[in-house]
Amino acid sequence: MSFPKKPGGKALDVLQNLPRISLANLRPEPGARQDGKRRGRGQHHGNRSGRGHKGERQKGTRPRLGFEGGNTPFYLAIPKYGFNEGHSRRPQYQPLSLKRLQYLIDLGRVDPTQPIDLTQLVNARGLTIQPLKRDYGVQLVDEGADIFAAKINIEVQRASEGAIAAIERNGGVITTSFYDPITLAILIKPVPFFMRGQPIPKRMLPGEDMLSYYTGAENRGYLADPEKIQQARLALAQKYGYVLPDISKDELYHMLAMRKDVRQIFFGLAPGWVVNMPEKKILKPTDEKLLKYYSS
Amino acid sequence: MAVSFSLRSSVLRRALSGAFYLHSQTPGAPAAATGLRCVSNAAPEQRKAAIIESTEEYRFVERLIPPSRIPAPPKHVGVTPSGWSPPADSPPPLPYMIRRSRMHNVPVYTDVTNGSRKLTLVRKVEGDIWALEKDVKQHLKEVTGEELPTQVNEVTMTLKVKGHFEKELKDWLVSKGF
Repeated sequence: MSFPKKPGGKALDVLQNLPRISLANLRPEPGARQDGKRRGRGQHHGNRSGRGHKGERQKGTRPRLGFEGGNTPFYLAIPKYGFNEGHSRRPQYQPLSLKRLQYLIDLGRVDPTQPIDLTQLVNARGLTIQPLKRDYGVQLVDEGADIFAAKINIEVQRASEGAIAAIERNGGVITTSFYDPITLAILIKPVPFFMRGQPIPKRMLPGEDMLSYYTGAENRGYLADPEKIQQARLALAQKYGYVLPDISKDELYHMLAMRKDVRQIFFGLAPGWVVNMPEKKILKPTDEKLLKYYSS
Repeated sequence: MAVSFSLRSSVLRRALSGAFYLHSQTPGAPAAATGLRCVSNAAPEQRKAAIIESTEEYRFVERLIPPSRIPAPPKHVGVTPSGWSPPADSPPPLPYMIRRSRMHNVPVYTDVTNGSRKLTLVRKVEGDIWALEKDVKQHLKEVTGEELPTQVNEVTMTLKVKGHFEKELKDWLVSKGF
């Protein structure tokens, strides 16, 4: 049932019965136009014109903003402290709540039957990552953990404990992995990278400050020992009070067990390959030195 | 399952490197067999291929291309876990109609101007907007107990209500079936 759009409605009927509009019979609504303020023009806004009596106020020679008459002003009395020092060297992670992730899955923008990657999240326009603004990826946040109900294989850069528990409670798999800024920019926008014609680079390993995070089993790091991860899953299930579902008996086990290699950026594409998008081909190197470099 | 993870990653790496080495070894053998003379004039088919072309793994590239259209939401019965509910199959028998936005959401928005002026805006109205205004005023009177000022714009077919009532209006419109 579509209603024909009749813009104007009753206003249009009124207008059709009035005489023709011309410049001679136009007038603004009363009270729409207010005259500007002009000082010193009349009975009570004259004399001192709202400037007060003598002194700096009337003469217009007041000192600068922040001056407190001679004592050390507030902005000089408080000592400096490096709150923002090194802000451009601090890695930032764009937060993604479980509520938003559930919303994206419900609306069909993110496919839960395939491994969910940062590329998939950005393609779904679920979030925006700016690698040039010191963003190192996405972090999963607890909000919406109680309403989350989707079994997914997700890979993020950081995850809170509550988020890990919510995903594993529903039978999913979560991994935290590291992407250096150049690789992250390629991961977010793969098509402009493929159009450049450069070989896919290998992902760099995390620096010493982040290595401990990604080798820890509690964070489900991609460099952690798989047996320790299994123990951490059981421990988390006990802590949060849910039964850990057995994934190996799941029909989607093959998809849930899919994980990227340490040096791999995209699923199914190895470093060193060149993608030819117009001809839909992939070019692989054969030189021994190149193969040795890319598989190291 | 944990053991399979470690096996999987190492098997993947070995498989990848194995795939590379396999391709590199086969063209090399006949070149050595032809002998020392005229290596530079070797036939093209005996020279080692610089690159290998393949179209089998291109399906992984197709997965990475972002879609240019908004996908249609899958069929749900009732409310989804995130709180989104699909519109009714047939539009309700009312003199007005409120379409969904292009992202399939109810077009009710809040606005704050000058720090303290709160507004709720209902967009994408079709049909008799004055009937909608009457129903909205009556519903909000039941919910809040006050007569709220509203503004109808017949040109843009929008309805503004003073105050923040996004949640109440969205729930009401969804219950109507819009």
